Amino acid sequence: MELVLFDGFNGLIQGAFYALMALGLSLIISLNAVINFAHGGFMVIGAYLAFTLEPYLGFWGALVVGPVLAGIIGILVERLLVRRLYGRSDPVYSLLLTFGLALIIEDSVRSIWGAQGVPFAIPAALNSPLSSTYFFVTGYRVFVVGAIVLATSALFAFLRFSSFGVRIRAGILDLETVSALGVNVYLLRAVNFAIGIMLAGFAGVLAAGVLQLSPTMGNDVIMATFVAIVVGGIGSLLGSVLGGLIIGVAAGVTSAYAPVASDVVIYVIMAAVLLVRPRGLLGQEGLFE
Amino acid sequence: MSLLRLENVSRKFGSLVALDQISLEVAAGELSAVIGPNGAGKTTLFNLISGFVPATTGEIWFDGQPINRLSAPDRVALGLVRTFQITEIFPELTVSENVRIGVEAEAGCSGSPWPNRRRTGEIRARVQELLDQTGLSSQSSRTVNELAHGDQRVVEVAMALSRRPKLLMLDEPTAGMGEEETDRMVELIRHLHTRQGVSILFIEHDMDLVFGIAQRITVFNYGKVLAAGAPVDVAANPLVQAAYLGGPQ
Amino acid sequence: MKGRARTIVATLVIWALLLTVPAWLPEIGGYTALASRILIYALCAMALNILLGYTGMMSFGQAAYFGLGGYGAGLALIHLTHSTWLAVVAGTLLGGLAALLLGALVMRSRGIYFAMITVAIGQILYFAAERWDSITGGQDGLTGFSRQPLRFGHLTVPLSDVPFYYFVLFWFAIGVAVLAILLSSPLGHTFVAIRENRRRAAFLGINVSRYVWASFAVAGLVAGLSGSLNALLNNFVSPADLYWVQSGNFVIIAVLGGMRSFWGPLVGAIIFIGFQNYVSSVLPNNWETVIGILFIVIVLFFPSGILGIARRRARIV
Repeated sequence: MELVLFDGFNGLIQGAFYALMALGLSLIISLNAVINFAHGGFMVIGAYLAFTLEPYLGFWGALVVGPVLAGIIGILVERLLVRRLYGRSDPVYSLLLTFGLALIIEDSVRSIWGAQGVPFAIPAALNSPLSSTYFFVTGYRVFVVGAIVLATSALFAFLRFSSFGVRIRAGILDLETVSALGVNVYLLRAVNFAIGIMLAGFAGVLAAGVLQLSPTMGNDVIMATFVAIVVGGIGSLLGSVLGGLIIGVAAGVTSAYAPVASDVVIYVIMAAVLLVRPRGLLGQEGLFE
Repeated sequence: MSLLRLENVSRKFGSLVALDQISLEVAAGELSAVIGPNGAGKTTLFNLISGFVPATTGEIWFDGQPINRLSAPDRVALGLVRTFQITEIFPELTVSENVRIGVEAEAGCSGSPWPNRRRTGEIRARVQELLDQTGLSSQSSRTVNELAHGDQRVVEVAMALSRRPKLLMLDEPTAGMGEEETDRMVELIRHLHTRQGVSILFIEHDMDLVFGIAQRITVFNYGKVLAAGAPVDVAANPLVQAAYLGGPQ
Repeated sequence: MKGRARTIVATLVIWALLLTVPAWLPEIGGYTALASRILIYALCAMALNILLGYTGMMSFGQAAYFGLGGYGAGLALIHLTHSTWLAVVAGTLLGGLAALLLGALVMRSRGIYFAMITVAIGQILYFAAERWDSITGGQDGLTGFSRQPLRFGHLTVPLSDVPFYYFVLFWFAIGVAVLAILLSSPLGHTFVAIRENRRRAAFLGINVSRYVWASFAVAGLVAGLSGSLNALLNNFVSPADLYWVQSGNFVIIAVLGGMRSFWGPLVGAIIFIGFQNYVSSVLPNNWETVIGILFIVIVLFFPSGILGIARRRARIV
């Protein structure tokens, strides 16, 4: 019984984590029309920034400043590179540009912080088990899930209630009309890109406390993130969250009963979903095809 | 015998009823027009007949057989070919390459993985024939996205003709055209109908044009057939005058 | 006719250069095995280009069929045959067969969905190869085979670097001929029609998914051939040959040379493999950054590829 709970809980953490990554990437794909292969790279940047900042700012400071710095790097990348792709309809260019970016990020992280994984200290208060029976439920794990739920809720509230957020949602549906209404689309897309990257950076900091930091930790995550988005339906933010949770839990549970299949299961789920619903669970016809 | 017959065909998009219990017939050899205000369901009608979207309820017969369950390509193979309101062509190919794709499909060799000299000759001859017929010969090696709008629409008609349609469906063939281009298109439609005996069903906004050439007119309004018949009868119909032509003049 | 004459001259020059590689490549600082690698990658990228450039389908899983071809050839040499020829045939058929079967799953998707499903299939195969130690050698890759000498009657030709280059060139020529004939056939025209306008193609009576499937199968078959040759080149197959990063390499090779031109991927492979080879010897620790910058520069400044630029200039002049 404990084992089932253990794996389920692990899967939930993984799912929450994928959901956060997928949500950020989904924003970028939907509004910036950029398939951001470097999203995993930005997550790694967030994690390592937090690792560097932690001795000076402490865990809580790093948790806030790390993602913000990642977001600033994101804005720079958007202004200098990504913006130049907005007129091109063929998605192959955004894939390749961000693919190159991912290579550069991985290599830079390796040069700056070294190829070996590094440990990341989390506050002792968060590190102890909450109950002696369910030893695996450490404070930190509960905190990770809580933080992700909070961040996701905050983002959805922002998109629903703030005027800027409403514009982002409107832009996802019909950017041309939003532009015709006099909204500064360039600014909208820049901010949106930064928000997406900040979410990736935030995910990175949280992951740093569970996994060990390494320059290549973004590689598998980026694929899982894409899978989450496709399962949920490209263009649907809610779908991305749902897709992330589904594949995370599936991967967590599978790793308990059939470790060999744990890497494959998410792709199998994706193939199965797409055979039944070609545009994912909540995707719309005609979008991004 | 009727070439195309719709019986109580409806199409719903969510709660919106785009077409409501439509019954309609096109006789073989007829030049028939569909008119109606924007949003009346004319293009939806074309989409249902051509297999672009399935009908929610009702039956569609073409050339004596039910076609509801056939895919769009299968309907084309039966001789049901359409053009679109917004020109659909192969933008980066030349005029003759555009037409050739259709000719190859008609010859049943779209999937043939090797060139065949004799067949290539036949295909080239048929492409030339279609270009002559539609007056595009002088432009045959130009890329279609460099052509004037009117010529692009003629290219689309030539492509449709390549499939030797029994029923040619033209969605606003003169949309966006100048006077001269419109005259040319009307001439082409007339030629196809009278000289080649192609049955034609077309959507059009230009009333003078419609009442000038159509043998039969079907008037749509709010997803329903308001009236149908010969142009004189339709023009005299008080319902049509009230709803569409702006009242009795 | 002028354009046609130019094409014929260009084709003759390309083949003349390829046939004489062992004579001139060492003079400019290359080595023959490098040329073999370039041909192998070029062939796989040309096959991918049938999908990417001609059918307009963004496949991001070409490495799957490349890798399967490699495993097929390697396993054939280990378990089935001592014939290098048969090993190539086995690998090619494995890649082609897999693409034929899996193509049925992907043929109805479009755009990003198509890219993602093709990636997913590649990843499933990658993890399968990485985990199935007993058959594939797992993470360490497949070893224990080597290319066998060719026998022509009483003559035995050991496949050292130069003879192997000609062996690769022979298969490259066959692969290229298949692709060229295909593109000049009605099926090739149909592929281009799908790229240009799917909707128009469907409403001309063309069954679009069926021909996307055909395109996918052809791309997989020739990728299988290329992968087989790659296995023989290295006497080794790595699961990384199936990984999505490898698929990305094939896409960048096609884009770099020019997606709309038949020979583009060859030019792309020369630049990409040559550059990779050079940078990894000069900057062994940071060559990924240089390759990444190359990607970005190509996308931003040479989106239609090297041959695309050459052609545009030719048109203006």
